[in-house]
Amino acid sequence: MIGTEQDEITAYLYAVRAALGDLPESTRDELLEDLPEHLAEVLVEAGGTLVERLGPPEEYAAELRASVGFVGGFPDPPPPGRLVELRSALLSRLRVADAKLGPMLGYGRASEFVLLLRPAWWVLRGYLVAMVVAWMLDDSGQPMGLLPRIGGSELIALLLLAGAVLGSIWLGRRSFRSAAPWPRWALYAGSTVLVLVAIGGFFSADSSARDSNYSDVNYDNGNPFSNVEDVFVYDQQGRLVPGARIFDQYGAPIELGNPYCMDETSGEYTHTDHMGYPYCPEKAPFVTPTEERSPSAAGSTPPVPTPTPSRSAPR
Amino acid sequence: MFRGVDTTQLLKGVLDLAVLAALRDEDGYGYDILRRLRSAGLEDVGDASVYGTLRRLFNGGLLNTYVVPSDEGPHRKYYALNAGGRAELQRSGKVWQGFASTMDDLLRERGTA
Repeated sequence: MIGTEQDEITAYLYAVRAALGDLPESTRDELLEDLPEHLAEVLVEAGGTLVERLGPPEEYAAELRASVGFVGGFPDPPPPGRLVELRSALLSRLRVADAKLGPMLGYGRASEFVLLLRPAWWVLRGYLVAMVVAWMLDDSGQPMGLLPRIGGSELIALLLLAGAVLGSIWLGRRSFRSAAPWPRWALYAGSTVLVLVAIGGFFSADSSARDSNYSDVNYDNGNPFSNVEDVFVYDQQGRLVPGARIFDQYGAPIELGNPYCMDETSGEYTHTDHMGYPYCPEKAPFVTPTEERSPSAAGSTPPVPTPTPSRSAPR
Repeated sequence: MFRGVDTTQLLKGVLDLAVLAALRDEDGYGYDILRRLRSAGLEDVGDASVYGTLRRLFNGGLLNTYVVPSDEGPHRKYYALNAGGRAELQRSGKVWQGFASTMDDLLRERGTA
């Protein structure tokens, strides 16, 4: 007779659900989540039909409603709009997440931990307000940096920062229990703006920090060889040494430049086929008059070391 | 208008505490808890009230649940007090004992008890 029992439970459940029809769907689902199992237990343990044991479904629904503290009965509350329903769905999800995340942080609920962070937010809020004020008042045109400088002055920045942080803490410690809701809303709106400012400021500071690192590696004066493209070694007589290798004091090869040469006629870069320096002998800045591009004939005539600039070095 | 004391009204205020107390020594499933409350003397307690209270305490984070499968009957959902539930039981229990002894004293002074 499992089949008829199941039918009885389904019918009873359906009637209870219908009687709670004015509750938001998510609340109702949450409330009735375990009811099928529970009704099955009642049927097994108590005997008789569900209506005999528990009374009419409408009464059961009313008792259930009373026990969980929802308003109901007569008059019915206005039917919830989409927005209200969405809000309660979100809130119930949040509550579940709150309870689940809490133990991971070592607290009963995540919100307990978040509440402890409030003074930290007050300090951050003060800093953000100071930055916004400085940004509005500063017309020096210089980059402001991470302090609320006005006209590039550090003193003003520190005074402004201290004032804003103290003010924000004072505001935080005051509670807003006044009758008018507008101060609270103004506070929320202001906080939202500040959070947006903070996000914007964070990403701009982040990208400028990354940009300056980039230039450190490539263009900074710390590395005078960063724009070297090729190396030309000349011997005592002013002759270009082909296939030169250069090493540091540990015998490690010093690698400078890049082993690509531009073909003047086609304008294409091709990998050099010279071992060692120079990669592109035809780009030599100085020419030795006695031997033009014929290093094999080097020893025959005494060369005259008169290096003259032949063309400007490739930039 | 005078409203006489009836257990249904009283129960509303203390059902949470009663359910927590019923789970203090042993986990239980819905109907089981109802039976414990009734056999302890709360005959008026309704099934829907107990079920609704269990749901509310569970959503409030005071109870854990687990399902025990069974071959003959239906699967049973057991409820158990967690640390939060035990703390709440202790706290609410003290409030109730304070309240009850105040009422006892009041009634004794007036010579009604």
